[in-house]
Amino acid sequence: MKATNKNPFSKLDERNKQIAGKIMVVMYLLTILAMQGIILYRQLVLGQEWNDFRDLAILMTFNSLFLVSALLYYGAVQVRNLKLKSVLLIYFVLIFLGSLFTYAKYNLFRDDGLTWDQLWDKFVLIYIITGIILGFFILFSLLGRRRMEKEIE
Amino acid sequence: MKLARTEKKLSQQELADLCDVTRQTIGLIEKGKYNPTLNLCIRIARTLDKTLNDLFWDEGNE
Repeated sequence: MKATNKNPFSKLDERNKQIAGKIMVVMYLLTILAMQGIILYRQLVLGQEWNDFRDLAILMTFNSLFLVSALLYYGAVQVRNLKLKSVLLIYFVLIFLGSLFTYAKYNLFRDDGLTWDQLWDKFVLIYIITGIILGFFILFSLLGRRRMEKEIE
Repeated sequence: MKLARTEKKLSQQELADLCDVTRQTIGLIEKGKYNPTLNLCIRIARTLDKTLNDLFWDEGNE
């Protein structure tokens, strides 16, 4: 039997793909962590406003949003039961952490703190955005589950 | 698997080409350092005219 493979660069078998996938995941995570670090440094150490790093922030937001959605949709993260109680619990934990971070950012790390009215405006934004993000994730996990059920059928 | 390949008078490269993988992958499977997917196991077994049991079942670890 004769060998048919002439071009060594044209072939990527399952092992190559597996290794490439693992390396890419590690590099992707390092990039995301580095970007998150840069954003935190700019906010908390340099005291920059959102406008100063909005390109990075938008990129990170969409990146995280689509990463988690894709994980949910393709079944890498399996959500067995979507109970209202657990969804609400996650929502409250997220808004608590978001509010805490915002409070710390403006009133602990900076000398010129915000008034409660100004803080409340920011909190409302956190509640709305967190709700939208969570809704997005729930939608994709439902779509993913439906897709998988169809595949099994 | 190495025995079955040599019985068929195939080199690692030839078996790799017939199974559409790289020679390194065949080498690592033979050394037991890479666990192939079931699809690849089936392709190798068909190419070597063997069953999956013949190639991949380890009697000693039963």
